[in-house]
Amino acid sequence: MDRRDFIKISAIAGTTAALDGCGQPEHQLIRFVPEEDLVPGVAAWKPGVCAHCSAGCGLLVRVMPGEAEVVRGNKVGLIQMGLAKKLEGNPGHPVNRGKLCPRGQAGVQSLYHPDRIRGPLKRSGARGSGSFEEIGWDEALGTLVSHLTTLRKGDGASSLAFLIGPMRSQRRALIERFLRAFGAPPPVTSELFDDAVLRRANALSFGHTQLPTFDLGRVNYLVSFGSDFLGTWNSPASQAIGYGEMRQGHSGRRAKLVQIEPRMSLTGASADEWIPCRLGYEGVLALGIARELLAKFPEAKTLAAGRLLAGWSDGLPDYAPASIERLTGVPAMTVARLASEIAENVPALSLISGAPLAGTNGLFNALSVNALNALVGALTPTGEPDVLQFTPNAPLAPDFAAATAESPGCFSAVEALVREILLDQPHAPQVLLLYGTNPVFAMPPQSQVRAALEKVPFIASFDGILDDSSALADLILPDHSPLESWVDQIPESGTTVETVSLAPPAVYPLHDTRAMPGVLLEVAHRLGGEVADALPWKTFDEMLKAAYAPLMKAGGSIAATSEDDFWEKMQSQGGWWGQADPEAAQPAVGPRRRAKRGKAVSTPAPHAPLAFQPPEFDGSETDFPFHLLPFATQAFGDGTLAHLPWMQELPDPLTTAMWGSWVEINPRTAEARGIRQGDLIELTSPQGSLRAPALLTPGIAPDVIAMPVGQGHENYGRYASHRGANPISILSPKKEAETGALAWAATRVRIARVGEGKLVLFAGGMSRFPEEKGLR
Amino acid sequence: MDHKWSMVVDLDRCTGCEACVVACRAENNVPTAGEDEAARGRVIHWIRVERYWEGEFPNPRVRFRPVLCQQCDAAPCEPVCPTYASYHTPEGLNAQIYNRCIGTRYCGNACPYTVRYFNFFNPVWDKPLHLQLNPDVSIRQVGIMEKCTFCVQRIKAAEIQAKAEKRDLIEGEFTTACAQACPPKALVFGDLNDPQSEVSRLNRSNRATKLLEEVGTRPSVTYLERGTWRGEKT
Repeated sequence: MDRRDFIKISAIAGTTAALDGCGQPEHQLIRFVPEEDLVPGVAAWKPGVCAHCSAGCGLLVRVMPGEAEVVRGNKVGLIQMGLAKKLEGNPGHPVNRGKLCPRGQAGVQSLYHPDRIRGPLKRSGARGSGSFEEIGWDEALGTLVSHLTTLRKGDGASSLAFLIGPMRSQRRALIERFLRAFGAPPPVTSELFDDAVLRRANALSFGHTQLPTFDLGRVNYLVSFGSDFLGTWNSPASQAIGYGEMRQGHSGRRAKLVQIEPRMSLTGASADEWIPCRLGYEGVLALGIARELLAKFPEAKTLAAGRLLAGWSDGLPDYAPASIERLTGVPAMTVARLASEIAENVPALSLISGAPLAGTNGLFNALSVNALNALVGALTPTGEPDVLQFTPNAPLAPDFAAATAESPGCFSAVEALVREILLDQPHAPQVLLLYGTNPVFAMPPQSQVRAALEKVPFIASFDGILDDSSALADLILPDHSPLESWVDQIPESGTTVETVSLAPPAVYPLHDTRAMPGVLLEVAHRLGGEVADALPWKTFDEMLKAAYAPLMKAGGSIAATSEDDFWEKMQSQGGWWGQADPEAAQPAVGPRRRAKRGKAVSTPAPHAPLAFQPPEFDGSETDFPFHLLPFATQAFGDGTLAHLPWMQELPDPLTTAMWGSWVEINPRTAEARGIRQGDLIELTSPQGSLRAPALLTPGIAPDVIAMPVGQGHENYGRYASHRGANPISILSPKKEAETGALAWAATRVRIARVGEGKLVLFAGGMSRFPEEKGLR
Repeated sequence: MDHKWSMVVDLDRCTGCEACVVACRAENNVPTAGEDEAARGRVIHWIRVERYWEGEFPNPRVRFRPVLCQQCDAAPCEPVCPTYASYHTPEGLNAQIYNRCIGTRYCGNACPYTVRYFNFFNPVWDKPLHLQLNPDVSIRQVGIMEKCTFCVQRIKAAEIQAKAEKRDLIEGEFTTACAQACPPKALVFGDLNDPQSEVSRLNRSNRATKLLEEVGTRPSVTYLERGTWRGEKT
């Protein structure tokens, strides 16, 4: 069967209402047998795109025939169809090269989750009560269209707001286009662990408003400032592949990894040297190292990335080893040693992400590490930090390039939206659309997202599973699972070649859901006028085809004879990339080529030099003696995968905890307060309090309390609802001073034992590390 | 040619990310236990990542070690089974024949690696999660032991395919689910009887060790010790 047949059959699937005439509605055998070329017992592998984070990894979906209970035209029935069995990495894809992280592999559970919304719903009880009644798509679309029509008639087009999760895809371009044509403001992105600070820093230091790509296979020395690049940050599969090369990819050469953080992350566990540093002082440490290097290489005082920092041109006189030790807690001798090790082991690289950027002085920390990279890069033979690169953008027409538009500093934008609603400002949203984000859960309580949502007259959600935010919606138009949809993603990093991940649906839909882009197109057509004109495509795949057609001329991984040929090849390959051989694109292998437009250093934007400001924290040190460090976990990523049972039962790599929340405490801190492993602890911040069991671990500073993000949902399916506690619910809404990003590591807490808690740990294994005896 | 299936675990590449753990669950229909059964220690993971803490703040160290069935040549689990459910295949795998197993758990007691898991309850998949189940792997019911098979269904499929095409197996044409997923390529699977194979090459490494070698089980899994920077003591 070719792709065109596949599309045709998909269209037929939508019109099986004809089966209504067949009699008994319940559990009859719907006489719709997909003509898939599937042989019982034989697996077909179809391309896919992972939607569990923004990395844009390519998938291969193992599809085998089976019997599924599906909904077609309001009828439930059993059909024979291809079922997704397993997800593996696409070996040809330049980001993940056949590999896949644990979260990506759980994509099949997103498809088969028992609590997926199976068809459109309208609210039947009070807001937030969770009572909904099933309605048909005609009614659902009609309701949304009538609300939007009313807005436009009354000159209120700008009172439409769209809250979305992070996405770099044509879905975003479609949303932007829809809103522009409608006359509404652009979508607002809401994301807890957003990287706005690092993007801004990279724009200033290197001229790229983008997350970086690292050539770890070539690095001899790696200093990571709080970055969990092997676990959850940025493009973890791609970075872990590079890490393997950095360790054992070259005989006789093994790079050193230094991890600087107050709580040991998954990445910290693999470090050769682990250095705890006071929260918010990471930039000071980086400049302390830079000062030592500047003394040896004074010509680097003119580096543009350095001049963004006050005192750089003078050799950073304020960052003498003694003051570094006083500020950061890192011994002066260690600073000097790190500097000389870096100088002796080029190419060297520094990374920064996570908590160091989530303080009030995050931008300073990021700029300091960028400047250190520029300085260390200047020491290499090429004179540039060429182990740090930026993925070039695929050549798209301006209309479709909106897919990669930078979101304005998310947290401030969400706050502005909330303010508009609560203060009844002119053009305050009357209709709010929600897609792929759960701000009620993922924003600190003082930002009042819940109150704002409760006040908006009409909310429609496209989410496929009910969460804390969509529970407040009046109308739910459930999206397909990504494996049932056309999916595209333009990776921001993780590869040195321009890349577009794209895949057609791997399986037929199970439920009476519809893909969000198709629904938006349908709404646009029903609205008519300029909105319909701006979105001329009948289906989303038509739009994708139009968006990516220009890539044919760019050559790269696809040699095609015609547009249709290109389009079919792009689907079967799982996307398009600027180079035919993905192995050649692998940064770690072979002699280095200059990325076509991925040059690391360009002219930085002008910016007044930034001086160090001590980080500010919510709560006084006397009343709240501990820093609260919320962290992304290996199981849930930024917290959005807590609804999947595989992820709930994935033991946390460092603690083996499962199925709940926990609070990480240093054993000495715990002992001083009479806290034992498993005791129920109350964490109190100036914003509120929560309870969770204590987990004692030596990998955390005595003045830091860490807690995983992802549990504590009121609504998120049967496996995650009312389980554990949510650390975001006691976070202060402090912001990074320069960018307005949420400073999620700027809250202080106190702790108290309140009783017995329940900690579920994975048993098994030996009590201590078994002695290793060489075989020869 | 006879095969000798083997796995090499490079502890210097392993990041402890647990991609292998989820891959195994997906491939081998390993059920989830749920919170209550998990609290009773009844979670099943055919491959798990053990972690060992050493030292105290500010110098804590963690070492990861993925542990799966070691597919021993002298497997302690085999002679203790009264029903011959634990069985040694001609290719050297420790197979578990589910319909012979009567759940004495002697094998689990005998295994020094504690990689055999008992089904304390019938597995449940809330519909439609069951649609994910791999039809190539049988589901285990209450009262029997289960363990890592080295993805024997993948081995068999590849062997049958090669036989149909009248050729030998080609190195790298298939691998286990865990090794397939592993991003830093810490897990490598292959045929030890082929001196050219990647596992044979890695087995000759001077970092090669066996887990609990002193108990004399002759495992088919080899661990490569974690490296140090410039040979410094960590």
